[in-house]
Amino acid sequence: MIFKLAWRNIWRNKRRSLIVLVSIIVGLIAIFLSDGLSNGMMRQMLFNQINLDIAHIQIHKAGFNRNKIVKNYLPDYKHVESVLKANPEVQAYSKRVYATGILSSANNSSGVIIDGIIPAEEAKVSIIKNSIIKGRYLGSGKRGILIGEKLAEKLGVDVGDKVVAMANTLKGDIGSDAFRIVGIFQTSSSEFDKIAVYVNSKAEQEMLGIGDNYHEFAIITKDYNEVTSIKNKLEAELGSRYEVFTYRDMLPMLIYQMELYKESMMILNIIIGLALIFGIINTMLMSVFERIREFGVLMAIDMKNSRLYLMIVFEAFILGIIGTLTGLVCGLLLDIPLAHSGINLSIFSVGLESFGIGAVIYPVLSAGSLINSVLFMPLVAVVGALYPAYKAIKLEPIYAINYV
Amino acid sequence: MEILKAENLVKIYHDNGVPVNALQGINLTVSKGEFIVIAGPSGSGKTTLLNLLGALDKPTEGKIYFEGEDITQKEKKVLSKMRLHKLGFIFQAYNLIPVLTAIENIEFSMMLLGIPDNVRKGKALALMDELGIKELANKRPNEMSRGQQQRVAVARAIVNNPSLVLADEPTANLDSVTASHLLDMMEQMNSEKKITFIFSSRDKQVIDRAKRLIILKDGRIEN
Repeated sequence: MIFKLAWRNIWRNKRRSLIVLVSIIVGLIAIFLSDGLSNGMMRQMLFNQINLDIAHIQIHKAGFNRNKIVKNYLPDYKHVESVLKANPEVQAYSKRVYATGILSSANNSSGVIIDGIIPAEEAKVSIIKNSIIKGRYLGSGKRGILIGEKLAEKLGVDVGDKVVAMANTLKGDIGSDAFRIVGIFQTSSSEFDKIAVYVNSKAEQEMLGIGDNYHEFAIITKDYNEVTSIKNKLEAELGSRYEVFTYRDMLPMLIYQMELYKESMMILNIIIGLALIFGIINTMLMSVFERIREFGVLMAIDMKNSRLYLMIVFEAFILGIIGTLTGLVCGLLLDIPLAHSGINLSIFSVGLESFGIGAVIYPVLSAGSLINSVLFMPLVAVVGALYPAYKAIKLEPIYAINYV
Repeated sequence: MEILKAENLVKIYHDNGVPVNALQGINLTVSKGEFIVIAGPSGSGKTTLLNLLGALDKPTEGKIYFEGEDITQKEKKVLSKMRLHKLGFIFQAYNLIPVLTAIENIEFSMMLLGIPDNVRKGKALALMDELGIKELANKRPNEMSRGQQQRVAVARAIVNNPSLVLADEPTANLDSVTASHLLDMMEQMNSEKKITFIFSSRDKQVIDRAKRLIILKDGRIEN
């Protein structure tokens, strides 16, 4: 009977209940969209970094990350390779030669990071092969070079043009070599496109005079959530001569930013929740004041305060549940197609690409935030009804019955 | 058999700090099965007296004994339980719950007593049949006339077999024919079920039916 009474009370003033429902639905959709969008942005930022360059795990000579100089190549890359081959959790790896230097064309020159790669290996680890917008990917030829679109613009070069790369050699001299541009790539990060160039590892090893050595292993694991345990295993196997970093170690600011985003989302949810609470308090108070005489009669015939309180809270809870379920359906109907098609924010592309996000954001709604929102809204509705329900039970029957 | 006794009842209200003597020393004894009308002009203290006798309010001074027990010192919870089990109320404005149908309104107080669903439905229907309002069972208050609503309110008041029914101006909003039917119904309940009725009213029809008339003036019993 209490449920029946609560349910019918909700619909005695349809417009008012619909306003509460719409505010819950809109609040929930706003949470879903903002949560999905920021979550998507963060994930895109992270995965773009991982797929561009960072990979899940990197292995270097101990100290390389602090001092990226030519002579800090891996002490025994063959040993590292044998360890990685034996590890079933490693999906793919790429050996890299690393140097910072200058790339010059006939028109201009620019500071660059020169990555010496084995093209077939790198294709399994990064998205460079799939980011070529002009020309082709690196082949077996030693003189080919891949450069980013932004760098090509700056140097005033195109596919087929010649460029000269210069970098410090192992002996401390300046080594240089001429390369012909075989491909131009464009990634989601304009900053990366300005500074990264790829050459065949053999060519760079010769230019730097480091024999057949490499500076870095970039590793993709089968499950990126397991990177910490894989790192621990690799560290134990490789010993102190090597340093093993996960993407979390190499992108601390981004990880911190992601945590910060989660917290800011929580704050946003609380703000939306507070706005809703006040809306619900207002609505429920109006509803209580409209029914003072009724409450008086109910109290006169011994409807216990607890039942009266429960009835009013129940009304808000039912509104919360209906609003949440409707908001959930509407939110998902909006979110699921957007998660596939993405939201095109190309008007902000310059800013977004400089953050390595890309112009199209794919919202990602996590199960956690979905569950939190679904639990949050009925709770908000109940909290919003507590005060009006308290006001109702504090009425004196004699006053309430004669209330005009 | 004495059901209700009021001794030297005084009720003083404070209206913006100004004391208003609503009742000034009322002494009254009500026996089981009486059909009493408290009459008097507006402001004479009829409703105040009814509220005190119905344990909805407490006197400033004096005592009220219900079935021999002093109820003036009882806690709210005890009074509330007493109202549910022993008293029935009929209000001028009917005060039916608008979202419940007639039968649900009648069932409601039985529900509060913890009577099972099927039992209370049967009991409510039987009572409605007895009072000739069975056809209203599934109608909501806004689908009923004023007279019909007041009949349902009477049914609600007596469904738990109370010892005493207090009716505050029950015919005030009704036309004379409807009021007459309603009074017939209550007289029938009084004679058949021996339910004690106390009315407050200025309606001549009600006053004419009184088996005992109490006239109030300025918070005092005149007769």
